Amino acid sequence: MNFSVRELLKSRGIVPKEEHLDMLETRRKELWELRDGLKKIHIDETDISLRNVPGGDHVE
Amino acid sequence: MLSKELAAKSVEELAPLLKDKSISPVEVTEGVLDQAEKTQDTINAYIDIYREDALKKAQEAEQEISSGNYRGMYHGIPMGIKDIIYMKDKVTTMASKIHKDFVSDFDATVVKKLEKAGVVITGKVSLHEYAWGITNNNPHFGPVRNPWNINKIPGGSSGGSGAAVAADATIASLGTDTAGSIRIPSSACGIVGLKQTYGRVSKYGVFPLAWTLDHVGPMTKTVKDAAGLLQITAGFDFQDPTSVDTPVDNYLEGITGDVKDLVIGVNEDYFFKNVDSKVEKLVRDGIQTLVDQGAKVKEVKIPALQYAEWAELITSLSEASAIHHSDLKNRPDDFGNDIRLLFELGELPTAVEYLQAQQVRRQLKQDFNKAFKEVDMLIAPTLPVLPNDIGDDFAELNGEKVDLINNIIRFMGPENLTGLPALTVPCGLSEGLPVGMQFIGPAFKETAILNAGYAFEQTKPMQGQKPIL
Repeated sequence: MNFSVRELLKSRGIVPKEEHLDMLETRRKELWELRDGLKKIHIDETDISLRNVPGGDHVE
Repeated sequence: MLSKELAAKSVEELAPLLKDKSISPVEVTEGVLDQAEKTQDTINAYIDIYREDALKKAQEAEQEISSGNYRGMYHGIPMGIKDIIYMKDKVTTMASKIHKDFVSDFDATVVKKLEKAGVVITGKVSLHEYAWGITNNNPHFGPVRNPWNINKIPGGSSGGSGAAVAADATIASLGTDTAGSIRIPSSACGIVGLKQTYGRVSKYGVFPLAWTLDHVGPMTKTVKDAAGLLQITAGFDFQDPTSVDTPVDNYLEGITGDVKDLVIGVNEDYFFKNVDSKVEKLVRDGIQTLVDQGAKVKEVKIPALQYAEWAELITSLSEASAIHHSDLKNRPDDFGNDIRLLFELGELPTAVEYLQAQQVRRQLKQDFNKAFKEVDMLIAPTLPVLPNDIGDDFAELNGEKVDLINNIIRFMGPENLTGLPALTVPCGLSEGLPVGMQFIGPAFKETAILNAGYAFEQTKPMQGQKPIL
């Protein structure tokens, strides 16, 4: 199911500016098109450096 | 010496004069404050000028130096810093309406380090609202204008820093860089800008734009000034969870200007693709001047660059929107129109997309590391286009109108995604506007790119030209 930008933002409690909606749809499509390029590389198992730091990572 | 002449000098020119007491920090500070106030109507670089505080600090510096307690290169140097960096008991606006009265109860780590070095803080300089943009056309504090042509953008987000340094309204500045926000205005305003390795300089006390991409760094008149400012600000900070505990080089000592064994990498597929021909010529001519000094050029491939734009956008949009989510829900009308649009857009990517963008980042780091086995650094244009008119939402590339944001940040994002150090040095003028050349190095190899930048700077690519104000 493909939700509109308005529906998606509404579900997050955000009311977009009316004049932004067309631009947001366009930008969202552009991001999807850029993401399509990822099909050319195999990233499914690529490790990343997200870490769970035991005891916290911020000294107060 | 006239105060205007003092304000026009670099740190490396002023420091020996201050050290041997032939000039006083008060004279230099007065010169900079006068220039800041004089250019404010045209350039609008500052959000707040601290004349009284600055003169008091300058007097303290004068007394210390007179007593033989010279602290180093930046002692007594007046400097305006980006208004996203906290100073205790001072308003830090982030150039926003929402934070227009925000007063921090502590100093950012970089502010503490500047004060320890004896820097005289002259005030807070403007930025694109919350650092989330590249034009500095700010709806709350007015547009910052490019000193080379006041109808043009100074670049952003650290546009106040770029314009102030170029207009001699500060001797140097600190900016921040999440998708080029130090390098873009440095290039557009014809100054030196350094985004050092991620984690090299503490971000504690600097309002975030996107946690995993943010950097604080120098914006200066010369490469040695940038090296000196990095020297002061670099180092591990336990209060910044992203700070890296690794030894700090002696950057100034490492600058010899010798590039005869340097191997320069050129990536034609990404960094020289879709570049305005006027910009391209200046950058290729710049590379040739290093070749003339003995450097070699080798073409390198970095395949994952083709996914960098997507990864940069997903990462920066998502992180920025997470930070501002509550305000976007509760008081959206208090944001400028342009950043509100970006915050709305940043609510749309999925968690899977964000994590895939992080996977692309790792691939990109691996590809850069492979390239650095063959070459010492990469050289590329900083921006593929010249600065556009204030208010335009497009850039011009070889006579064609192209998307502004995508083109301005195209050569910036990869360095933020990878955290690699990148330096921009002016390489000439086109249509009266500065063009920057970018040196990208391996992680924590700031000395190498500063040295190459210095060697290039010594060829005087700007031929001594300055903006006329």
